[in-house]
Amino acid sequence: MEKTGWFCSYTPVEIIDAAGSLPVGIKYDSGAEHEDVLLGDSMCSYVRSCMGGALTNKYDDLNGVVIAHSCECMRRLSDGWGYKQHEIKPDLIHTLDIPKVVSGSSIKFFAGGIKRMKEDLEKKYGEISDDAIRKSIQKYNQIRQTFEKIDELRKKEDTAVTGTEIEQLMSEYFSTDPEKFSKAAFDFYESKKDAVQPADLPRVMIIGGPGNSSLIKTIENSGGLSVVENLCTGIRAFAGESEPKNDPYLELAEIYLEKTPCPRMLGDKARAGIKEISDLAKEYKVDGILYFSMKFCANMQMQWALLKNSDTSEIPIKVMEGDISSEINEREIHSFIKRLKKRRKKKQ
Amino acid sequence: MNTAEYIKQENTEQRKKQLENFLKVNGLEDIPPSDAVKMAFASDFNELSPSAKRGHVNAEQFFNAYNMNASGDFEYHHVAWRSLFVPTEIMYAMGLTPYTTEMVASQLAMSGAAVERIETAEANNFSGDLCSFMKTVAGGVIEDIFPTPDILLTSTHLCDPSAKYAELASEIYKRPEFILDIPYGIYDLEINKKDEKDQKRIDEAIDYVTEQFYEMINFITDHTGLELDHKKLKNACAWSNEARKWMDEGNNITLYERTSAEKGIKELDYAANLMQTWGTEKIADVYKSRYEEYKANPRSKSEDKVPRIAWFHLRPYFKNQLMKYLDEKIEISGSQVNFVFFDPIDPSDIIRSIAKRTVMHPAYSSVTARTKIAISQIPEDTDGIIAYYPKSCRHFHGGAIMENEMFKKAGLSILTIDGDCVDDRGDDFPIVKTRVDRFLKMISK
Repeated sequence: MEKTGWFCSYTPVEIIDAAGSLPVGIKYDSGAEHEDVLLGDSMCSYVRSCMGGALTNKYDDLNGVVIAHSCECMRRLSDGWGYKQHEIKPDLIHTLDIPKVVSGSSIKFFAGGIKRMKEDLEKKYGEISDDAIRKSIQKYNQIRQTFEKIDELRKKEDTAVTGTEIEQLMSEYFSTDPEKFSKAAFDFYESKKDAVQPADLPRVMIIGGPGNSSLIKTIENSGGLSVVENLCTGIRAFAGESEPKNDPYLELAEIYLEKTPCPRMLGDKARAGIKEISDLAKEYKVDGILYFSMKFCANMQMQWALLKNSDTSEIPIKVMEGDISSEINEREIHSFIKRLKKRRKKKQ
Repeated sequence: MNTAEYIKQENTEQRKKQLENFLKVNGLEDIPPSDAVKMAFASDFNELSPSAKRGHVNAEQFFNAYNMNASGDFEYHHVAWRSLFVPTEIMYAMGLTPYTTEMVASQLAMSGAAVERIETAEANNFSGDLCSFMKTVAGGVIEDIFPTPDILLTSTHLCDPSAKYAELASEIYKRPEFILDIPYGIYDLEINKKDEKDQKRIDEAIDYVTEQFYEMINFITDHTGLELDHKKLKNACAWSNEARKWMDEGNNITLYERTSAEKGIKELDYAANLMQTWGTEKIADVYKSRYEEYKANPRSKSEDKVPRIAWFHLRPYFKNQLMKYLDEKIEISGSQVNFVFFDPIDPSDIIRSIAKRTVMHPAYSSVTARTKIAISQIPEDTDGIIAYYPKSCRHFHGGAIMENEMFKKAGLSILTIDGDCVDDRGDDFPIVKTRVDRFLKMISK
């Protein structure tokens, strides 16, 4: 099966699937951060990892990539990939511009961009019909519905679902055919729906970007439980559901722009993002928030400054800056979890 | 008292205090604000040099934002905070005074007052590797030294933090913000256009921004009561077109001919592409005076004494030895931020024409596209390029390696200096001087 890589959760993977190509999410652990000799050290580690991976043949099994212009670092990834296209195997490269505000006109403009993405993919994979896109939307809706159910389980105090398990499941999502994954996700839900884990663990929400392979494990090995991940590889990976529309591009544009926002979003959507953080904290009965901000990501850095400066809630927020591959300071996490445990005891 | 009156009164009171705060952080606390204004305008505008005229216009607008006119008297202004690339003609046509915070950050750097603001921001959760312009602004907001805006108008080009900071300011001042979402890469599409589908996307992008301008006009009216005056808009565009013409003519002299007029680093401070003065009568005068000065002082190629260098991006604004040294060693023949990339505004379709100019900003395109323009514009007798990129600037610094390769392939020598424009904490002149000397030695060969 042909494969098309995508980098950002604002990429409508339904179009790739409808083209008959497997959408492959390029995760934080797939590239080669230290092999980037093109973009330089003012870029975030995720983008450097992707660029380094492309330059060292890590993505040679892909037939193409869709690079979302979602932030200034991704912009340079698109530049670098295009500039070195003659040395990089995946021959299709499409840059998809993503609006930063949500309005009637931005949704319409983004729909036009998604249509152009489809047209570019058609050059490689042949015609993509509206029906095929609708079928694909259905497939992803099923995945979304299953995750909503899993999320409901995670909201319970005695949940048996761990963050580490979800991280593993998400990893499969990034590289598995949506139909197969839908079944795997549902099986996971079935295996957990009646299970309980009465251990009294501090419940943590993680906010960040593409993630870090040690982060969730470190939290859970330190005696905490990651109950909601507001990450590109967490809840932000899924758009919501919409009412079916005559125009599937408009439908996709709307659900992707309306989803839980990345810190890249601006204006009312950014403010809604801050509010959503506080709503999620309540829904998931969170004891503490760990904001894992990626170095050189101006959007995250600005968001946590805003969050910390305007925070009036009583939920402790711990900010750590790091990279996708950096080791996590275990001692720092231990002491944060310890603090949450004490607070939790006091509350009881 | 209705809401508009209440906001006006609140702004008036706050701006009075904020100007005092601003003067204080600049070590001018003993000077009454009205005297500070008079000091800034000691000379008659018409008697000033072109560069001083530019400074005069900026200073006048700066004090206006604090409700002071050039005589030091009170005069209420509806102030719109603006990020660098929001077009200003519509603002003038609606009676708004723009206040560009990034420009004020450079002003604070010039007076040696930026680093303390940066430290304030860093002490208040703003990360060390954020853009230093934005940290200066964030620190200034926290210290309350800027005039409370009536509204905030920002755009998504070119960089992420320049739009994001408005969220902070909007929350602190409790004033509404409007964001222009500018599509990326349309200039790339224009120069690589293959078929009618590409043209359709270009048109969609211009339509999208045009629509947002109309939304912005309604937003301004809703929140300030100010309405678009079509006659004023026409005038603003006529002045912009005139300013554009003189800027371009002046650039042609410095780039393709020669002038013995002393330009020095002041040439960089026109930074025409970033200015909030487009759409004013005075800026047309400034650029015309510049052209006339250059034209009146011709110089032949045989009189070249130092290498002719095209300058990319901005300069360090803090007190530094580098620019003084370069002033003796090179002649700045062209500047990226003075490049007139846009067509004149079409008076028969003004809003769409401004939208087109906004969308087609070549700096908001791929590194390949923007480098291609530079290669096509820089004449053969230019000796090299110096690019001064802040390390905190993902947009420019992140493209430096590709740009270097492309220029070298095109036979253009380039020196990229990793620096900062407002934060002097990492300034190390001896190291940079070594690199500059090696570069100048290389191009002299």
